[in-house]
Amino acid sequence: MRVPLSWLREYVPIEVPLGELTERLSVASAEVEGVERIGVPEADGNLERFRVGRVLEAEKHPNADRLQLCRVDVGEGEPRQIVCGAWNFGPGATVAVALPGAVLPGGLELERREVRGELSDGMILAEDEVELGPDHAGIMVLADGPEPGTPLVEVLPLVDDVLLLEPTGNRPDLLAVYGVAREVAALFDMPLADVPGGQSSGHVPEGQVEVEVDDFEACPRYIGRLFENVRIEPSPLWLKSRLLVAGMRPIANVVDVTNYVMVALGNPLHAFDFETLHGGKIVVRRARKGEEMRTLDGVERRLEPEDLLIADTERAIALAGIMGGEETEIGASTTTVLLEAANFEPFTIFKTSERLRLRTEGSNRWEKGVDPYLAAPAAALATELLVELTGATWTAQSDVHADLPERPVVCYRPERADAVIGVATPVDDQHALLARLGFERGDDTVVVPTWRARDVTREIDVVEEIARFRLEEVPFTLPVRRAMFGTLTREQQLRRRIEDALVGLGFSETYTPSLRPDDETDWKLPEPIAVELTALRTSLLPSLVEAVRRNVDAGAEQIALFELARIYLSNGELPNERLHVAGVAPGGFARVKGVVQALYEVLKAGAQFERADHPLFHPGKTARTSAGIVGELNPRILDGEWGAFELDLESLFAESREPVAYEDVITYPAVRQDLAFVVPEQVEAGELVAAAREAAGPQLREVEIFDVYRGEQVGEGKKSIAFSVAFQSPERTLSDEDAAALRRQIADALGERFGAVLRTA
Amino acid sequence: MTENEATVAAVDWEAYEREASAAVAAASGPTELEDARVGYLGRKSELAQALRGVRDRESGMLLNGIRERLEAAVTQRERTLEGEELDRRLREEIVDVTLPGERLPLGHLHPITQVRRIVEDAFLGLGYEIRDDREVETLEYNFDKLAFAPTHPARSPRDTFFFDESHVLRTETSPSQIHALEEHEPPIYMVSIGRVYRRDAITATRYPIFHQFEGLAVDEGITLADLKGTLLHVMRALYGPERRIRFRTHFFPFTEPSIEPDVSCGICDGAGCRTCKHTGWIEMGGAGVVDPQVFENVGVDPERWSGFAFGCGLERAAQLRHDIPDIRLLWEGDLRVLRQF
Repeated sequence: MRVPLSWLREYVPIEVPLGELTERLSVASAEVEGVERIGVPEADGNLERFRVGRVLEAEKHPNADRLQLCRVDVGEGEPRQIVCGAWNFGPGATVAVALPGAVLPGGLELERREVRGELSDGMILAEDEVELGPDHAGIMVLADGPEPGTPLVEVLPLVDDVLLLEPTGNRPDLLAVYGVAREVAALFDMPLADVPGGQSSGHVPEGQVEVEVDDFEACPRYIGRLFENVRIEPSPLWLKSRLLVAGMRPIANVVDVTNYVMVALGNPLHAFDFETLHGGKIVVRRARKGEEMRTLDGVERRLEPEDLLIADTERAIALAGIMGGEETEIGASTTTVLLEAANFEPFTIFKTSERLRLRTEGSNRWEKGVDPYLAAPAAALATELLVELTGATWTAQSDVHADLPERPVVCYRPERADAVIGVATPVDDQHALLARLGFERGDDTVVVPTWRARDVTREIDVVEEIARFRLEEVPFTLPVRRAMFGTLTREQQLRRRIEDALVGLGFSETYTPSLRPDDETDWKLPEPIAVELTALRTSLLPSLVEAVRRNVDAGAEQIALFELARIYLSNGELPNERLHVAGVAPGGFARVKGVVQALYEVLKAGAQFERADHPLFHPGKTARTSAGIVGELNPRILDGEWGAFELDLESLFAESREPVAYEDVITYPAVRQDLAFVVPEQVEAGELVAAAREAAGPQLREVEIFDVYRGEQVGEGKKSIAFSVAFQSPERTLSDEDAAALRRQIADALGERFGAVLRTA
Repeated sequence: MTENEATVAAVDWEAYEREASAAVAAASGPTELEDARVGYLGRKSELAQALRGVRDRESGMLLNGIRERLEAAVTQRERTLEGEELDRRLREEIVDVTLPGERLPLGHLHPITQVRRIVEDAFLGLGYEIRDDREVETLEYNFDKLAFAPTHPARSPRDTFFFDESHVLRTETSPSQIHALEEHEPPIYMVSIGRVYRRDAITATRYPIFHQFEGLAVDEGITLADLKGTLLHVMRALYGPERRIRFRTHFFPFTEPSIEPDVSCGICDGAGCRTCKHTGWIEMGGAGVVDPQVFENVGVDPERWSGFAFGCGLERAAQLRHDIPDIRLLWEGDLRVLRQF
């Protein structure tokens, strides 16, 4: 919402420094996103070079048919000679003059110069040159009155500040200059002008506009007014400049008046060319199935039965509250105008605007809820302006409405405000604040003003009204807690441990999107913002591999990335969202397996590996653990030798054996030996270890493979696997004989099961 | 007088010891020391010879005393010389300490994770539990139970990712409020942290996926002032002890009163700069007092219990802490970026 300060001041005499106004509004009412200074630059006395002038003489330029040569009195005693390209004035006209040296809004500095051989000592201004209107067809002819030489800024709004206000959705009353003025008056405890248009009484015509409302739920009120002998003309300068500053394009008087009233009061209006209506009647109804209409923007709209329409006796003539129809649009030849000042129910407008993806200044206000009592002053203000600006006669009217909602009466305990806010506000002060906002005090109740009736319906809503006035005085306290947990859960602690371990192992953490282009899943967005962000991912690795590839392309070295995030598995009503950790780093199978072993180890868990297949991985260098997959990436996926893993955290954490129980490995020392077995090539090391453990029992405390050898000494199709073992008992020192017996048990078992032969040194 | 007695008597042992001590002390290297030791303590030394012939206790004590003292002096001198030798050697072993150290592999936690931990720790210290809930939500939890009006813009597929008419990617972490309230009786002190989704085009300031932390405190007698104090604590944990905060009125469906907290700009300390758009303040998210409607939606008595809730973005916090100009940098996994943190 653009709120021109000059317009605001018409309703409330606010003179505090701009910074104070914006700060107070931002804290207590609605955020001021910024202040736009518009119009003629003020620096270096620039404004003094803009004056009121009176044209003394005006005749054709001797050397140019399309130019006028004028002598203009600008209050200096001696008139100035000015060359002008416009012809919409003559001697005696009061005009706006910029003197040489003046800087225009665009930054152009005027110079005294010769035009076709004649000196031009200034410029007679058109409205667009000082950003007061869009026209450049002629110069501005001012109303007579001000003396030549009067500073122009006293006559025209050459400079203005525009507050860029962002009211929240619950405050549609602030989508109007008068509404903002009402708020400012309350904030600064200042008088507020009466509602514009509200005071006009005068004659009400006898004629009736025929209006039929089929659906009072959706349209609680419809005021129609008929104006005859309308002259469509450009609006006067003040109106055009106000609309421009408020961010709307001036078109012509009738449409400009409807827009002006909307910005001033917040009630969107519409005007129809009455002569284009069939049957001369307004019908407010829902659309019929298959009905169509062409809106003002030239688009053919297919309507649905939920859409609320303004129709005549035969067809739709407007999408209620959203946009008018092309066929009944006001045009240059319009002479009879039907003005609509209605009230529409928000949800109806919202749904249609949503479905058609059509948002307008009007729909934006309706869908937030417009005060149904506002239609009357809006109609009055528009009537006043239409009669004044178009020369029209108001000839007929009608005000069709259901029972308008009563003002909400809310039970209110002022002590409740103190309890919620945490700072005390005396009861009388509370009621004084509320009164400034238009609330009335009852016995243990307050009566809500009509313009806040949707937002304030409960005691807590009234409390908020007090709170927003006192936000700066709210102290800093902490809850007096009666229950405290304040610890990370086991899973949260282990998660941190995994993150820290990976960082220690040289992996850098990355975040990639949860949405993928193509994952196999039930959870695909029917309307993604980009195909890359379509499906909830079922694995972290594809995005991680892409991140690695980007780093390779960027020339990074020692690339090692991990991500800890959710994957989403199809699982009925809602997906099964699981935390995974995945990593990619250079190096072969052994290296990445070492990483996974380390992750198990930091969790105090033992990892078991078995051969596995996975489409992203090398077919011969991939293993599965209880929690996921580890191996070398298939070089088709990522060029070079890369290790990768992806583990499910819940499964991984299930392996964690904590707290660890102490084992006495000090009192009775271990007997350490190296054993090497020759086995057929297809025997896997893990099988040997498992069998050795089974054979030797708990006294085989450690067994680790430290070498695998193939060659002549062991023969074709065979390999030698060397183990380092430690035999130890918690009860006694093992003798050499004990160790020899254990070794024999192992050798026998391995020999029997795998044909393994113990090599002797 | 035997020969030996004569030898003992013939020597001025006081002078011998003085002479020997001086020789040991003067030895400037291992060779000289060994010469002195052999000369005065060795097998052929006068002392050794005299000791061999000694018969009387008095002479024995005298000579053994001399021997022990000289041996101690030799050992002492030996240590001194070794120490000096080591010092000399170490003085020569000079490296250029400005040469790089060995590059050990060390990774980096993502800035969002770092900020996440700061937030978690700040709230753990205040006695809050940390939780996260599902990202695919039903309309019931994402909107209805949080008292979103039927016309709230977030219900539009223009703002929110819909899978079908009843499932969305959660638009904020606020559904956690409902989950927490349904799971436990108050009092509740919890912070929920996780990914949320909005239908925004990817730009320098917006990314359709981001992270929020959402706090909820429900107890007897909770006030807006408690919210102010709590947020001050967390903002100071994130941005430093000098930070101030202010509240601006706002509107959210599930809080009343609703506010937006601003933290004083850490770059200009409130004077106004580019980062804070010349306001001196930086928006941190949304907050407010839990709306009684939310309590009623989950069967909690709003007359007995009161609470506050707040939600802030982790990306924004990471960007502010580290002065990261473009949110996309947090999502690209570029090691040139990640290795800075």
